[in-house]
Amino acid sequence: AMAWRAAPRAAARLLLGRRGIASCIDPSTGLTEDQKEFQKVAFDFAAKEMAPYMAEWDEKEIFPVETMRKAAQLGFGGIYVKPDVGGSGLSRLDTSIIFEALSTGCTSTTAYMSIHNMCVWMIDTFGNEEQRHRFCPSLCSMEKFASYCLTEPGSGSDAASLLTSAQRKGDTYILNGSKAFISGGGDTDVYVVMCRTGGPGPKGISCLVLEKGMPGLSFGKKEKKVGWNSQPTRAVIFEDCVVPVGNRLGAEGQGFSIAMQGLNGGRINIASCSLGAAHASVLLAQEHLTVRKQFGEPLANNQYLQFRLAEMATRLLAARLMVRNAARALQDGRQDAAVLCSMAKLFATDECFGICNQALQMHGGYGYLKDYAVQQFVRDIRVHQILEGTNEVMRMIVARNLLQG
Amino acid sequence: QAIDDDCNQTGQLLAAMLDWPQGTFASRVELEDGAVRVQREVDGGLETLRLRLPAVLTADLRLNEPRYATLPNIMVAKKKPLEVIPAADLGVSGGSPRLKVLQVQEPPARAGGEKVESVEALVEKLRQSGRI
Repeated sequence: AMAWRAAPRAAARLLLGRRGIASCIDPSTGLTEDQKEFQKVAFDFAAKEMAPYMAEWDEKEIFPVETMRKAAQLGFGGIYVKPDVGGSGLSRLDTSIIFEALSTGCTSTTAYMSIHNMCVWMIDTFGNEEQRHRFCPSLCSMEKFASYCLTEPGSGSDAASLLTSAQRKGDTYILNGSKAFISGGGDTDVYVVMCRTGGPGPKGISCLVLEKGMPGLSFGKKEKKVGWNSQPTRAVIFEDCVVPVGNRLGAEGQGFSIAMQGLNGGRINIASCSLGAAHASVLLAQEHLTVRKQFGEPLANNQYLQFRLAEMATRLLAARLMVRNAARALQDGRQDAAVLCSMAKLFATDECFGICNQALQMHGGYGYLKDYAVQQFVRDIRVHQILEGTNEVMRMIVARNLLQG
Repeated sequence: QAIDDDCNQTGQLLAAMLDWPQGTFASRVELEDGAVRVQREVDGGLETLRLRLPAVLTADLRLNEPRYATLPNIMVAKKKPLEVIPAADLGVSGGSPRLKVLQVQEPPARAGGEKVESVEALVEKLRQSGRI
């Protein structure tokens, strides 16, 4: 007789059901066969390698280097980076699908991986051949990790007013200043830094690639955060930090443009991470409603909760379509890509936070306990409404397009 | 167990035709010099056999954890050549089914049981029905 495989740990079992296949929120609808394969690998990886550990990584603030390296072996280290330097050469839509699926396993870790991917793409796209071959292969394999350094204590939304200076001296730049809230800061190896080589405003900004160990490069204390605890966040400090001119990506004065182009994709990626968290939360809520009984019947018999769940699913699908639409526009090089990315980031991060929050509410008191995953999804995606451009800045971009464009 | 008829026969048939030893439902396989040590999943638990090579093994799901497909491999998979070899080219004739289905019937519907008053009565009933 065939004995069935013993059920995996409860968390992983629940996770294998996190695909929500053959339902109205099935994330594989409308995808090509290849995309469904990518998605399947990502969901499997999320269920087996990430979901069972996401609570521990959050509680103990572990940066799961080995797990991310395993993901990189599957091609997740440079998803939209060109293959000649170790990337997987996939499209923005493929990337969105992958991050959405991985995020169901651990949103915080997936979000860091998306930042890493963004940095590798910037080097791949704007670096010369020497720089691409010097940096990208070890980043694609995640032998080394990367951080994106734009924000400063004095310049967040007003990013173009950044102050970190890079004075040219012979064939080096001397950097002075500091960056704030840098994801991975202190634990990562490669830093893509936007700094001022010229006059004020965006046109005076250049992009330099720094490496940990360069003299004059140091880090602040590890920040204590509400979520995103599986990635360290630190200030990055430059004190007469010497950087070779050969580490500059693109031309002097091109840095702001490089940063913003990186962020277009970054916004789709962060929005995709929100989608994954919301998807997982809807499935967790669905399970809880069928299992939990009050007043003599399952919660799922209550029309209020049925309607709530329906609204959550509808909003999730709407957000997903916004994100995938923006991804297509970006990969097709459309004129409106940047504003669509902003709209998608705005809509998806706001809606998905609402979805995760409602899923928590549906769990009642249990939703507030760290034994249940839903609270971590809420905490982890809250920051998606803030970073990579606040949702207020996203509104500025859309308004500008409507009123000035 | 084949995915079509679940008959659990192919490996065993092959071993008989080749006159090779067989280790079915393998959950662990260790190669030795000229032999293979096979741990089998059986109804009573685990059985370990040592088979001289060559041998036929069939795999139980506990044998291995499948690898993840990598993104590059997924993309390359579509471009792999798919060679179609007609059976005649391999000198294999027939290919038409040699099994004929004579009858399909449901097992008898489950009849109600019987309550007995004592252990002696139970043993007597079991003896009567030929169970012991």
